[in-house]
Amino acid sequence: MRSRVVVTGLGIVSPIGIGVRDFWKAALAGQSGISAITSFDPFPMDGYRSKVAGQVRGFSVERFLDSAHGERVDRYAQFALVSTKEAVADSGLQLTKENPHRIGVIVGAGMGGMVMGEREIAQLYQQQKPHRVHPNFIPAITLNSASGILAMAYGAKGPNLTISTACSSSAHALGQALHCIREGHADVVITVGADASITPLVFAGFCSLRALSSRFNDHPEKASRPFDLMRDGFIMGEGAGTLILESAAHAKKRKARVYAELSGYAATSEAYHMVIPREDGIEVAHTMRLALADAGITPTQVDYINAHATSTTIGDAVESKAIRLLFKKRADAIAVNATKSLIGHTLGAAGAIGGIASVLTLHTGKIHPTANYDDPDPACALAGLSRSAQDRRVKVALLNAFGFGSNNAAVVLKRTTA
Amino acid sequence: MATDPTISLTIRTALGEFLKRDPATILPTQHLRDDLGLDSMAVIELLYRIEEAFDLQIPDQDLAGLTNVGHVVTYVEKRLEKSGSATPIEKQVKPSEPKNKKKS
Repeated sequence: MRSRVVVTGLGIVSPIGIGVRDFWKAALAGQSGISAITSFDPFPMDGYRSKVAGQVRGFSVERFLDSAHGERVDRYAQFALVSTKEAVADSGLQLTKENPHRIGVIVGAGMGGMVMGEREIAQLYQQQKPHRVHPNFIPAITLNSASGILAMAYGAKGPNLTISTACSSSAHALGQALHCIREGHADVVITVGADASITPLVFAGFCSLRALSSRFNDHPEKASRPFDLMRDGFIMGEGAGTLILESAAHAKKRKARVYAELSGYAATSEAYHMVIPREDGIEVAHTMRLALADAGITPTQVDYINAHATSTTIGDAVESKAIRLLFKKRADAIAVNATKSLIGHTLGAAGAIGGIASVLTLHTGKIHPTANYDDPDPACALAGLSRSAQDRRVKVALLNAFGFGSNNAAVVLKRTTA
Repeated sequence: MATDPTISLTIRTALGEFLKRDPATILPTQHLRDDLGLDSMAVIELLYRIEEAFDLQIPDQDLAGLTNVGHVVTYVEKRLEKSGSATPIEKQVKPSEPKNKKKS
């Protein structure tokens, strides 16, 4: 019999707050974390079509981390260390008293160590001094640097994985952690999503894809507007989210506070296009259906969706279409929101941060606003969307995450106690 | 449609290379998506080549109007007229008020 899996700890680094309390307070107030980019200083912004992003403010290694771990890794992994520190404390776990081989770490990251990566690449090509490449370059950019450093920080000797599927990375991390615990390979999995790649080259790359919003450069807080008629692309974000996943039995044994249950997951590919989703929404609907089936839940039981909702013209329309395909007449009875409307698209961290928002909704009965949902696009309007916070005793939440490379994930969470 | 055969030829040559077909078979009336089979990513890649060929930047807001070959030619001609045809565009065109735009 497979173990039930519950969420017992949360931690976050986000453009609207470092720490779950600050994040959730800001989220319920509909506060925007989108601002003009300053982090490229003195790199000129003139040549960029988009000039805004969801940047984490007030973060420093000195303030949040001890130097032993923090200085060896790039920004995304530093975020992961901070969010995990909070989540572990929040869970009440005494990891030193646990069997270390039963504690796993699974990280979802899309881009990884790009801050150091770009800096060293630029320097090498400018100066042509290979011997001056920093010795920490390889450890910092290797995509499992976060999962590695987290294992070291917490003595976690269980399964240690990094999943990189672009924007769905940490939704898959949640799903793979679910599998890991269900099948008895671990009692606890520190599950993380992290990305921090608002860097000159990566940002330019997304600009060249014409994927980013450029219409609201003078009003950054209005730029991220999923499902709105005036949306014109996503807004890059950065951050990290950690969820402590635990077997229900393990949580019950130590009398842990349980936020929610992780009960279903699906991983699929549309096998269609590297960056464009299928416009008919059929594959997205299929992914959601599979996740619900894995949870043993019917579509009629879903009462909240944390949408992927990046604020792109095509993406939001496809997701809305898929929701209508699957839920049919009930589609408008389901509460829906878009966390990216507040913080932008944190790429590999999006699944975990959306997961945290979903867990907090299940736990508190409050749904954060979808910012800038001022003028619903008739092509993708859903009655359950609101630019105000909503109160609802949500029992079943569905989290969507769709990545470049035609990659889809859906995760199901339920309100429960261990 | 095209008044400058050089611009038209450059654009049709870029399309021909992209699609691996003879530029002479590419006509101004052909729709980039429906006739030439370009998806939205391919259109972006094509316009990237055209930006490079004519040393100009095409703002996001101008993309929606570039649906057939002739539109692309006319657009480039107008942009080069504004700047003086031999002078590269150095500054981004100031975005106009957004209209109801759908991306392909």
